[in-house]
Amino acid sequence: MSKKLVCRAADIPPNGMKECTAEGGQKLLVANSGSEYFVVQAICPHQEVPLCEGLFDGTVLTCHQHLWQWDIRSGAPMGIAEAPLERFDVTVEDGAIFVDAQGALNVGELFTGIAERVLSALTALAKREEHAAGAVLYRPGDPADDFFVLDSGRVEFQIGRDERTSPAGFMLKKGEVFGWAALLENQPNRIASARVLEKSVLLRINGKQALTILEADPASGYVVMRRLSALIARFLAAPGAK
Amino acid sequence: MRIQVNARNRAYQFDALPGEKILYAGLRAEIDLPNECGTGTCGTCKARLISGSIEDGWPQAPGKKFLKGKDEFLMCQCVAQSDLDVEVASFVYATDPGACQLRALSGRIASTRSLTHDVIAIEVALDAPCDFDAGQFMVVSAPGVPGMRGYSMVNFDRQTKRVEFVIKKKPGGGFSEWLFSDKAAGAQIELLGPMGKATFYPSLAKNILCIAGGTGIAGMMSILSRACQERYFEQFKGDVYFGARTMKDMFYLDELSAFCTEFPQQLRIVIALSDEDVPAAAVQRYPRLRFERGLVHEVAKAGMQGRYQNVRAYVAGPPPAVEAAIRVLLLEAKLTTDSIRYDKFS
Repeated sequence: MSKKLVCRAADIPPNGMKECTAEGGQKLLVANSGSEYFVVQAICPHQEVPLCEGLFDGTVLTCHQHLWQWDIRSGAPMGIAEAPLERFDVTVEDGAIFVDAQGALNVGELFTGIAERVLSALTALAKREEHAAGAVLYRPGDPADDFFVLDSGRVEFQIGRDERTSPAGFMLKKGEVFGWAALLENQPNRIASARVLEKSVLLRINGKQALTILEADPASGYVVMRRLSALIARFLAAPGAK
Repeated sequence: MRIQVNARNRAYQFDALPGEKILYAGLRAEIDLPNECGTGTCGTCKARLISGSIEDGWPQAPGKKFLKGKDEFLMCQCVAQSDLDVEVASFVYATDPGACQLRALSGRIASTRSLTHDVIAIEVALDAPCDFDAGQFMVVSAPGVPGMRGYSMVNFDRQTKRVEFVIKKKPGGGFSEWLFSDKAAGAQIELLGPMGKATFYPSLAKNILCIAGGTGIAGMMSILSRACQERYFEQFKGDVYFGARTMKDMFYLDELSAFCTEFPQQLRIVIALSDEDVPAAAVQRYPRLRFERGLVHEVAKAGMQGRYQNVRAYVAGPPPAVEAAIRVLLLEAKLTTDSIRYDKFS
């Protein structure tokens, strides 16, 4: 991937942050932890609020609007935040900050912060697919072999068959994971249908092979399973219930 | 009208009454649609119209600056004109079991009482009893008066037919000017509520910290009232910081003093005056209260050092005061976001 110039390093004071426009026009947030620079998406994934208006203490970034928080190092959500931040690989050359965009796997809610070698093994497993609007990825009863990571676009879910269906949510953020029955035991078949609503790019990953990779690195496997259980709970439970 | 809301996790269906705002129809059906101010300002309740037609009750609502596409709208301001399919780009769940359910209420302004030169308390006699949680608010409107405003309840009682609100006079604020006029006393008003998540339950089992600027004290009074009724401060500490410009802008000091008298060891109430030195007469008159000069978040920052263990913080007041206090709580006190509850009025 090609490097893009974002800003001069000297523009960002220690423990400070600033919204910058990268080459090509993308708006990004640059933060300086004092010893290192980090670049993440400029706008809060919750409600279109510029993150540069929030708080940054050198480690934790807080959006001032509803107090969503992230670890600036990984982009991982903290506290009440429901979605990670898209994070960019940073290089500093001659006092200038450059970024490389991250793949969807690295941005995603399941895999941020796991060991580098596990991430590259999973990346090698991922098949990139492009689907046009209207494409059906799976239907109830289909084998649940693969799970998907959304890179761009929008995917909608329906429960039920034929005329008797009801919407069961939708995915629209880079890095969101669906079809996760493929990562569960004793869940061989789909219980919903997944339909692409607008042109979308997906990573398709075989569940069994991914589990084999995670079993070989139990620390990373534990992180992924912990996140997966939190993700499933979001679709089941009323949060706030103590 | 039948309304279907497609959320990130699932879809919900509910019915709206003729003229009923979509947000309130959903909350009434015990679906916790995204919302915060309920009065067109914060933009939290934005949704996308997929099919059907709506009428926008307030096309100039300030919260519309958060809308992106032409098909987006504020659920708190719009009424369905046909069956609707709408989309909300967040996870939506049923309201917590046991939470007080939002209803349309009506009542009469039984009395108004001047608290300062620009703040009054109004007492509303409701036509039917209602329940709310300490720290919640209601959206109030009067027939023939433009606008709806959210006001926190000051009192706390179960199945009460009486609610008390604190109102600050806002020049040009249609509703507050009407309340300050002689037409308000005895007038019939409409209320929607309760709403708001900055609530206190005794099962919290934590020390509580309240930081309030101006009329932001209203919800804190309800929280303190409930905590005192349940003798919460026999087990847990309470720290209250209440700020205003001068003593002329201060109110409820007798009531706050009375709370302190009940729990002199565990409940500490500090009055922060930003624009004048603490008058000796105030200290003499309210020996139970502490007085400091300074902005309320700075006084709280100085007074709370080393006292943040096992704390739930409540913050309310004008937006700059709330943001400054939250900054202190996150950056200085290192509280986690889930231990902060706040109400921002704009």
